[in-house]
Order: sequence, then C-alpha cells, then structure tokens
Amino acid sequence: MNNSEIPSGSRFASGANVGNEENASNRLADLDPNDIESIEVLKGASAAAIYGMRANAGVVIITTKKGSAGKTKINFSQDLGINTIQRFVGRREYTAEQIEERFGPADRALFEQRMAQGGLFNYEEEIYGNTGIISETRLSASGGNDKTKFYIGGSIRDEEGIILRTGHKRRSLRANIEHKINERVTLNSNTNYINSVANRSFSGNENDGGLSHGYNLAFTRDWVNLFPDENGVYPDNPNAAGNPLFVRDLTENSETINRVIQGLKLNMDLIRKDNMLLRLNFNGGLDFFLNETFVYVPETHQAQRGNDNGFIGVGKNKFMNLNYQAFAVWENYLMDGALTLSTQTGVSYLNFDRDLILNRSTQLIPGQRNLTQGGAQQITQQYQFEEEFGYVIQQEANYDDKIIATVGARFDKSSLNGDPNKLFPFLKASTAINIANFDFWTSETINQFKVRAAYGETGSSANFGALFTSLNAVNIGGAPGTLISPSRGTPNLIPETSSEFEVGFDLGLFNNRIGFEATYYNRTVFDLLFGRAMPSSSGFTTEFINDADLRNSGVELALKATPINNSRLQWNTNVLFWVNRSEVTRLGVPPFVPPGAGFGLSLGTFFVEEGEPITQFKGNTPEGTVEIGDTEPDFQMSFFNTLVIDQKWELGFLLHWKQGGDVLNLTRFLTDIGGTTPRELDNLPPNDPDQPAFFIEDASYLRLREISLFYNLPKIPNVEAWKIGLSARNPLTWTNYSGYDPEVSVNGGQGISTGLDVGPFPSARQFYFHLNVTF
Amino acid sequence: MNHKILYNILIFGFLFFGMWSCTIDEQVDPNNPDLESLINNPTVIGLNNVVIGIEAGSRNGYQQLVTAPGTIARELYLFDADPRNTQDLLGADGMQLDNNTFYITAPYNSRYRVVRNCNILLEAIQNELTLSETEKNGYTAFAKTFKAYMFLQVLNLLDENGIRVDVEDPDDLGPFVSREQAFQRISQLLDEAATELNNAGDNFRFGLSNGFIGFDSPATFRQFNRAMAARVHLYRENYAEAAQALAESFFDINGDLSTAVQHIFSTASGDILNPVFRIPNQSGNQIILHDRYIENLQDGDTRLDLKTRLRVDPSSARGLNGQRETALYDGPTAPIDIIRNEELILIDAEIKWAQGNYAEAVASLNVIRNAFGLPDYAGELNEGEVFDELLYNREYSLWCEGHLMIDYRRFGLLNDDFLPIDREGDIIHLRFPIPIVDLVI
Repeated sequence: MNNSEIPSGSRFASGANVGNEENASNRLADLDPNDIESIEVLKGASAAAIYGMRANAGVVIITTKKGSAGKTKINFSQDLGINTIQRFVGRREYTAEQIEERFGPADRALFEQRMAQGGLFNYEEEIYGNTGIISETRLSASGGNDKTKFYIGGSIRDEEGIILRTGHKRRSLRANIEHKINERVTLNSNTNYINSVANRSFSGNENDGGLSHGYNLAFTRDWVNLFPDENGVYPDNPNAAGNPLFVRDLTENSETINRVIQGLKLNMDLIRKDNMLLRLNFNGGLDFFLNETFVYVPETHQAQRGNDNGFIGVGKNKFMNLNYQAFAVWENYLMDGALTLSTQTGVSYLNFDRDLILNRSTQLIPGQRNLTQGGAQQITQQYQFEEEFGYVIQQEANYDDKIIATVGARFDKSSLNGDPNKLFPFLKASTAINIANFDFWTSETINQFKVRAAYGETGSSANFGALFTSLNAVNIGGAPGTLISPSRGTPNLIPETSSEFEVGFDLGLFNNRIGFEATYYNRTVFDLLFGRAMPSSSGFTTEFINDADLRNSGVELALKATPINNSRLQWNTNVLFWVNRSEVTRLGVPPFVPPGAGFGLSLGTFFVEEGEPITQFKGNTPEGTVEIGDTEPDFQMSFFNTLVIDQKWELGFLLHWKQGGDVLNLTRFLTDIGGTTPRELDNLPPNDPDQPAFFIEDASYLRLREISLFYNLPKIPNVEAWKIGLSARNPLTWTNYSGYDPEVSVNGGQGISTGLDVGPFPSARQFYFHLNVTF
Repeated sequence: MNHKILYNILIFGFLFFGMWSCTIDEQVDPNNPDLESLINNPTVIGLNNVVIGIEAGSRNGYQQLVTAPGTIARELYLFDADPRNTQDLLGADGMQLDNNTFYITAPYNSRYRVVRNCNILLEAIQNELTLSETEKNGYTAFAKTFKAYMFLQVLNLLDENGIRVDVEDPDDLGPFVSREQAFQRISQLLDEAATELNNAGDNFRFGLSNGFIGFDSPATFRQFNRAMAARVHLYRENYAEAAQALAESFFDINGDLSTAVQHIFSTASGDILNPVFRIPNQSGNQIILHDRYIENLQDGDTRLDLKTRLRVDPSSARGLNGQRETALYDGPTAPIDIIRNEELILIDAEIKWAQGNYAEAVASLNVIRNAFGLPDYAGELNEGEVFDELLYNREYSLWCEGHLMIDYRRFGLLNDDFLPIDREGDIIHLRFPIPIVDLVI
C-alpha cells in the first residue's frame, strides 16, 4: 500500500511554508479495520530483512478476512457514537482593568459593552466544541465449501468532527475469494474498493492566511462579536488575519479518494511427498487510486479581499502501484520428520507511477467555485516514477522445535538509487533455541524457555527526485524562466542500510499461564539518507546525501499472563515496557538544522549533531546554541487487559503510559502573543525566569486508549450470536502537558518532526454503542 | 484442462518471471530541465530562460529585504503572525538578532540562489556554439550586473561581517571577505559588465520583462548598470567615481523622478505577487509607518500621503503603535522600483554635498522638494544643515524600500542617540549575522 500524505495546496492560501504543514491525511485510513483479520508488525531489520529495500521503517503485514467452509455466515453490525474534543485548553480570563492594561481603552469599552450584552463569547468552544455523530454500518457474508471459500463485505462509516462541517466518510466493498483448482493449486483473489471523503477545515502552521483555526483563535478576543449579521455577512476579525467562524462556515478543505486494491495469489504444490514439499507462490497486486483535493476560500475572506480575491485549489493526483512476487518454497523433512529444512527463493518487483496535478485559481468571480471562474490560474504538475526489483533466497532449519535457524539474503535494485541496476545485498541470520524442549529440561514450572538472537539488514532508497539537480519553472510577467532548485541532488546516492542485532529470551510458566519476553536491540542505520542544510551562499539550501550513521538501541519487555481462568472468569493481561535511545554516531557534514522540521533556533528546533540523539531540540541562547529538550520518552508502557465474565460479559481496556519526552508548544507561543493563554499556564517556560527561554514542555501522559464492554445476549432462534456493547476511544488522559494533546505532530507523520505543536487540529475522543448480529 | 499442461504453463511462467532480470532505465528528471545538460549543451532558448529566471528569482525574499532593515531603521513595523518581526528586529530587552531565522535566511538564501543562476549562465554561455562573441557579451554583462546587485543587497544586510563573493563552486566556496573587498568585487563586476555592454551590439539576444522597458538594449541596460555603480560608489564614498557613473546612468535632473528599472509582478502561472503590498486596513498582516515620520514631516510635504494612509483603526502590537500604514503600492501586481531617477538625484545631491558644493547640492534637493509640494530649501548652506536636508529627503523619498538602515549606518546614525527607542529595553542593531549554515563549513 502506498501511504503518501498528499498536499492539497492549501498552503498557497494560508501561507504555510511547506506541503507537510497542510495536515494531509494518511492513506492507511482507507482500510476498513473490520475487514482485517490480523495485523503483524515486523519492527526492526532482523524481522523485516526479507522485505529488503522498503523495510527500514519496519513492515506492517495486514491480512484481511477469509471465509471458512460450511454454513454461510451473515454478520451485521451497527455502531453509533459521538466525537468530542479530548480537552479544551481554555481561554484567558480578564477583568476590565486587565483588558485596558493589555489591549488599551478601546478594547476595555468593547469588553464592557459585551459584558452588558450577555457576557463573553468562548470561541474555543464555538469552534472545537461540536459533538459529532458517528455511524457505521457493516454487512458481511462468508462461507463456502471445500473448493471455494468467500468473504464479501461492505461498510459505510460517517463520522462528524469536533469542528462543524468537518468529518470523514468511508464506503468500502470487499470480496475475498479462495478457490482450490485441485488438491495442489489454490487461487486467491482479494478485491477492495474504497470511496472516502474527508473534510478537514484548516489547522496547523500558516502565515497570515487567516485560515488555521489554531492561529485565528490565538489572536481572537472573546469580547469581539464575530458572528454573522442578519444578512449573513461575517465581520472581519480586527485582531487576527481571519474570522474563525467565517472559516468554519464558508471555506472548504476536502479530500476524496476512489481506490481499488486488488491482489491475486496462486499457490501450487508442485511436489508433495512424505518427506518433501515443493511449492510455487505467485503474488501480484495493484493499488490504484485517484486522490482529489479541493480547497476553497471565498473572495470575501478578509485576507483574500484586495489581494488574491479568493482561492480555489483543485488537486487531481493519480497513483498506480503494481507489485509482483514469485517464490519457490522447498521443504524437506529429514530424520523422521525431526529436522525440517525449508528453502525459499524468488523475485519481487514493484512499480509506482504517480502523477500529481494541482490547479489553483485566484481573482475569483464572486460566489463561484469553479477553477474557470478566476482571473489567474496556476498549474503545477509532478510525476514520480519508481521501479524496484529484488531477488530473495532464504534457508531455514528446524530441528524438532529445539533449534531453529535461518539465513537469508535479498538483493535489490531501484530506480531511486544512483545506479539503478546495481544490486545491493541485505543479509539476515537468526537462531532460536527452545531449551525447554530438550530432554534434560525437567522443570514443570517453566514449560518454555527460548533463547534467540537475530541479525538482519534492511534498506531504504532516497525519495524520488533526490538524484537530480534541476531547474525550477518561474515566471515574470508571463515570460517563462528557469531558476536553480534550492535542493541539490546527488547523482550517486546509494540506499541507506539498517543493520540490527537483537537478542532475547522467552519464558513460559505454569503451562504458559504466564509468559515473559525480553529483547535487547541495537540498530544502526549506515549511510543515512538525509537532506542536509547546505551553506546557502552556494545557492542551494539543502542537499541529499548519504553521510551519517544513526544508532537506535533499546529494550522491550513483555509480560503476558492469564491470572484467572475458570468457567466464571477469564482474565488475560498483557504488559509491555519499551525504551529506546538514539544517537547520531557519525555525521560527515557540520551539525545542522534539518529543513522543514521547526522554525529556527530562535524558537528552538531539531538539530542533527554527531554524538547526540536525533530527537534533540536545540535553541540559541546568550550562552550559544544549547540543547533545550528531547522528544524521546524516558520509557513507555502499555497495559492491555481482557476479562470475560460468565461467558457473557467481555471487558477490555488498553492503558498507555509515556514517561518523559518533550514537546515544543508553539501554540502557546501564539496564544501568549495574542493574550489568550489561560492564566494558570503563566508559570510554564519560558515565562518562569527559572526555566529555559523556550516553549518546551514535558509531554508525559497516561492515557486510556480503548475501553469496551460487550454483552452476549441470550440465544434466539435463527440467530447464531448477538451482542451489544459500549466502548470508548481515548476517553481519559492524565498529563501535565498544557496543549490539546501530548501526542502532537503538526508536520505529519513523516521524518523527525513529531513533538511540534503549532495550532493543531485538537484530538478527539469517541464513545460508541455497538450492535453485532451473526446469522 | 489437463493438469500436466497447467503445471507446465505455470512453471514456465515462474521461470520466465524469475529469470527475467528486469533492467531499470537510467533516470532523468521527468519534471524539470536538468542542470548538467543546460551547462554542457546550452541552447539560446535555454539560456534566455535562465536570464528570465535571474530576473524573476531576484524578487524572491524581497519582503524581508525591505521590512527587516526597515524595522531596524525605525521606518516601519511589520505586524504579522510572527512576533520575531517586532521582538528580535527591535532588540526587545536587548535581544540580539538570530542567525537561523527567516529575517536573514530568506533574503540571504534567495539572493545567493540568483547568484547561482548567474554563475550557471556565465558557465553555460561559454559552451554555446551559435552565438557571436558580441552577443555573448550581452549575456555575461546581464549576469554580472545582477550578480553585483545581489551581492550588494547581501552586503547591505551583513555589512562588516563580510560576505562570500567567490561562490562559483558550491563544493569549494571562497572565504568571507571584508566589506571593503566585497565592495571592490561588486564595483569590478559592474565595471566588467559595463565594458562588455559597450561591445554587445545594438540588441540583446534575450528578452527582459516589462520592468526593463527602456533599459532592454545594451546601451540602455548600461545606464541601469551605471546607476547601480553610482549607488555602490556612493556607499564607498568614492565621490568622483560616483559622479562619473551617474553621468553615464539614466540620471536626469530635469527628468521624471519616477523613471525607473523595476521588479514587476503578475498573476500569470508561476509568477508571484508584490510581497510588500498590503491590503488596506488589514487586521492580520500590516506594514505600519513609524510615527516619527508623522512628527518629522515638513509642512506641505506630500510624500507621507502618497506613500501611506491613515488606518481606520490605529494599529498596535506588543507595545508598539502606529496610525498610518503603507500605501506605497496600489495593488498586488504593482511594480517595485529597483532604482529610479529620484534616488539618482539624491545621489547627485549627496556627491555635491560631500564635495562641499552645498549650493549645488541644495539645487538638486530642491528638484525633489518641489516635486513633493515643498518650496525651495531656505536653510543655511553649511555641511550640517544641508546634510539634515539630504537625509530628510532620503527618509521620505526612499521610505520602505530597504535604504534607511544602510544610510543611517554609513552616516554613523544607526544608534539610539539619533533614532527613537519605542519600548524600554529595545536596542538598535547595526547589521545582520551570518546565517548559521554559512558559519560552519
């Protein structure tokens, strides 16, 4: 799947600096979670090595539901829910005297007039206080016989956001069919069509576009009436670049997806004997989608009037992703079946073809939303092509489940590398010893004791375009020109290589009633690909190079237990603990501020420096450039519990605790300037002279991510099973972080830009009622 | 179907795909022209596009080029979303300028990006096979003149911190040279270009935008080149050379003050709008006149009303107040002057003042005064008073065009003895720091 975040061009109206400030949605959201059978996350190179050059960030394997032979099952479910803001930050309270002192006598008069007319407005609640209705309906049928199995399903989800006129709609259809041509040949076809529409309004960083709610609210004064008059005319906001009510009610920022994902799989057992199996595996898929973005700002918006006079942005982005794999698996059973040798070899091919077109129109004819109805048009187009080819070979040996060892290699080439036909090797080797399976192990208490070690390499190629030093199209008065691109390409880039070594052990006690797993990993990315800041007197500001090494190391502990398991109560608990530390172990260029991941050293920004974590914030102080924070948490833990009571009640909840890790809260920087920060936050840095002069805050939290309670209703005729339930997502968070959400990332999910808070779309919590019937 | 046949087909297919060693084509940028082929195999059209790219690119970063030094010189305030425009630039509580913030990086990066385009043009032109030497002189003269213009703008910001002038090789940048060395290099570039323009024929082989109407042939472009040379010599206090350059420029004491070479703007696809234009009475993004301009205005001077308008609501932000906002440009596609006859007359006056010809200096200043509703100068003809009148006219003729910080600094007036301090604790900066990316190399 391709999960690119696709900019909509709203920055051309809002003045945001770069595409990743537009809060584009992530395409993983296209999948209906209810179609998913299982999600397997392969973190780290040792697990993901077989996926080669695309696996540096780990691999997520999503398996969708299949039918099973037998009576056809019809499943119907209906969810009803509400969406509300997790928390309001609040607004600063003023007395008339304080208003005069801060804003002058004219504002005091407005304030007193407002108080006499019924009190202050609360624009934060006005904008973010919507209670959105969520409805989701799903219908699926599954079944089949020995030869053919099917799962077909459809769902409609409609979710309103916490801002009026925002929300998300998804319609999804799926057909998964498995057919056995004969005893040895199986054919699978998975088809999924998705139509989704997201309305996001405007949030995040901008510069005087008067669109982002976070920005507008920071400067909006609660004693100024911004509501439309009887003719529907919205007053200009005298204190900010835009009236947030105007933006909420009259602008558009939407994204529509039409997407088809089709997979075909053919498994063929060529030789099947008692002591060996030779299987061929063909796998092909396509993922085609058309992404259409629409941004509309009427000509009556105060930041448009007299300048651009209205803005329409229409994006038509075509994505065609193809992949193909062919594998042969040869399994050999030796020593009376005690030793299994398994050899896998094959090829893999990927082809991505993207065509991104953004049309903009300004100087609009009043009231019109058609690109044609504007006096000035701008077109930008970008093609992106990627092609990748790899060979895989892997050998696994399993001796009686006592010793399991694997070695493998993958050789990849990619059009994103400087030499597109050079094969880069990625190796892996792993071994696990099940000590408890040996005859000498006699302990009854410890029924499983497994020691494991693994090494693996994965890679990642440069982003499209990093190879080229190009000339950009510019224009003056209608004459076309070319101007050197500020990003300098490097024609001989190689993929970065991540090498991971991990060791650990798994313990099972009391017949696996208690399980414990511990893992230590050390992952080093060699020849890290990054855009470094160039000395800009060269005419270039960034240059893509392979000139750093980055190490991540950490520990993961997992405790799984079934403390109670009897006919009345089953309680499963799962506790995870993880900690990670990063360090830039080599940097071939001087330390630098990574482009697009902050707002300069005067406000504090990420800073890439040898010997320091990649997650550090630095800032300029009178003592020089010093570290002011780090987004890396001290540690994280999660607690997942499920309880089944009397076979009727099912209770589940997931708690997540993040300890430490800083956020640069520039939203508060804005509200401080606008005079809207709640007074109780006045002692936070940098206002407290004893603390650093930056808007750095500890973003530790304990969050109840999910809680659900289901009741299995008594059997009735013609209904196999039915249950009702209540659930909540992110209902409770305990944190000292002063912003909307300590888990904030305004620059999207890519790169090292998490931990920046600039007028984000506030996070929501959701409460649901569920009904689920199986016939 | 017979299963044997099916198997054979499948096995054959497997082998076919498995053995098929897919060859990936060499990659070329599908979106943009490639730099290497432009330099090695240039075409006239390609080079002409680079010329337009230089002209278009020189408008990038222009807002900060005007508002950042303008704030330091207490000409104006920029009230917008970023408080650093009033905190850092006015030195709130003694705050120093930052070396990693947009007010220096935006103009610095965009100037040097144009310099790179100039160097690309200078390198590529040598490999062009169809143009005559005469025609090539036109290209090199254009590139050198713009390079000098860009260097001058960076030097105006960085001043004694020096600038890099030897930036032909991005992997081996020359050192930061002193202000005086940088000035020498700028004058040298302008002089080389002027010589080449003498040998560039009657017409350029390339077109320029409408901002160069009347200055788009070698002979007339040379008048622009000499006007820039006069500005540089004035800054260097080389008055004889400045006078010589002025004589060869489009300076016309009796001419239209507004005759100018301009940056133009349009709504064409890929073009940009005037970044110093502001929507009247905007609440979000305003360029506010410093009130001292109202207090110091001589009776009858029309420039205040020509260039600024009274706001419906006076503006205030962070302890700063102003009644009037910019009206310098009447719309988002209004042009910005690069240099105009009005400035050349002021240069003429300054040369004469510096040479002690106070009466002649005043005669030139009277041309400006009379044009803006003021009677002839009636003060004393001595160094100090004529200087005050000269400075007054520079302040009001060149407001919000990026001049005053440089003027105050070269006259030793960029300090709190001369300029007002609006808020307790504010300080007056003298120059911008070298951006951090250029410090470490």
